[in-house]
Amino acid sequence: MRTLLRTVIQVLFFIIVAKISDAFAAWIHSPIPGTIIGIAVLFILLKFKVIRMDWIEQGSNWLLAEMLLFFIPAAVGIINYKSLVVESGLRLTITIFLSTLAVMICTGLISQRFAAKKEGNSEC
Amino acid sequence: MLEAIFWLFITVAIYFASKRLYKAFPKVYLTPVLIVPIIVILLIQFSGVSFQSYNEGAGWLSEMVKPATIALAVMLYKHVDVLKKNVTAIIVSVGAGAIIAIITSAGIAKMLGLTKEITDSVAPRSTTTPIAVSVSDMIGGIPTVTAVATLVTGLLGMIIGPMIVKYFRIHSSVARGALFGTSAHACGISKALEYDAVAGSVAGISMMATAFITLGLAPFIMTWF
Repeated sequence: MRTLLRTVIQVLFFIIVAKISDAFAAWIHSPIPGTIIGIAVLFILLKFKVIRMDWIEQGSNWLLAEMLLFFIPAAVGIINYKSLVVESGLRLTITIFLSTLAVMICTGLISQRFAAKKEGNSEC
Repeated sequence: MLEAIFWLFITVAIYFASKRLYKAFPKVYLTPVLIVPIIVILLIQFSGVSFQSYNEGAGWLSEMVKPATIALAVMLYKHVDVLKKNVTAIIVSVGAGAIIAIITSAGIAKMLGLTKEITDSVAPRSTTTPIAVSVSDMIGGIPTVTAVATLVTGLLGMIIGPMIVKYFRIHSSVARGALFGTSAHACGISKALEYDAVAGSVAGISMMATAFITLGLAPFIMTWF
């Protein structure tokens, strides 16, 4: 029960940080979204021990573990774009599919090669 | 109000049920992010509810994407050593990936005869939604199309990512993280976390780097198309 309460409070903390960083980004008309500013600021606060990791770790773990749940309503929202799907859906999907494939193969292979070199393996 | 809470509850219940199912049978077509929206869409179509009234309750879940993204800061802090050690691998591979994403998206869209607006709209689709939408707006795309393309990117990325990892034998956690974070933004992070925490934090850093690169380079690259 106490763990549950702790997690809820810590999740609330992240919600508040998200609200503040969004408001800040809007206020300074930042082209960088609030979430990225939020990550950077929170990271710095952790680094300089202004915030201790164990104060917010449980909440962070829960949010990251259930991240998929938060995308579901957006995915369901695709039903709002029926005409786009009918007109260009197939071509759009092919574009996204092929491009994603290219990005994944390149990024994966390049970083694996670099990572392997570091570990001293000439073969990869 | 009651209806809103009902749909929120239904969505959460189906999600946790499908998560258990996926744990028991880890098949691609049982991935929660694929199967839950399909079930929910069928349910709201059959009950004749509009997306707007569905989203009145379930939309609260979308509000949680931002706090969950910020929660990555803890993950980054925990794995800062791994990130430091692999800084070159991450910068080079993510830089290449982010640029390839813009060029191939716009190039293939153009080749397939999609309109200029749609080509501009898909160009920034590999990065996180708020960045993708603002870049799209900058270069003359249609933000809603970009939002849909970005979402489809995330869903497709979660499905084909594990196949690429297997087929191309991507064993390193750093490489897995870079692959998922560059290609499938926050959806990719959640998939990378299924491997291990290092892959998850590299995916987080990769998503952020992709965001900055897309923001900085997409307007320039798109003058070629």
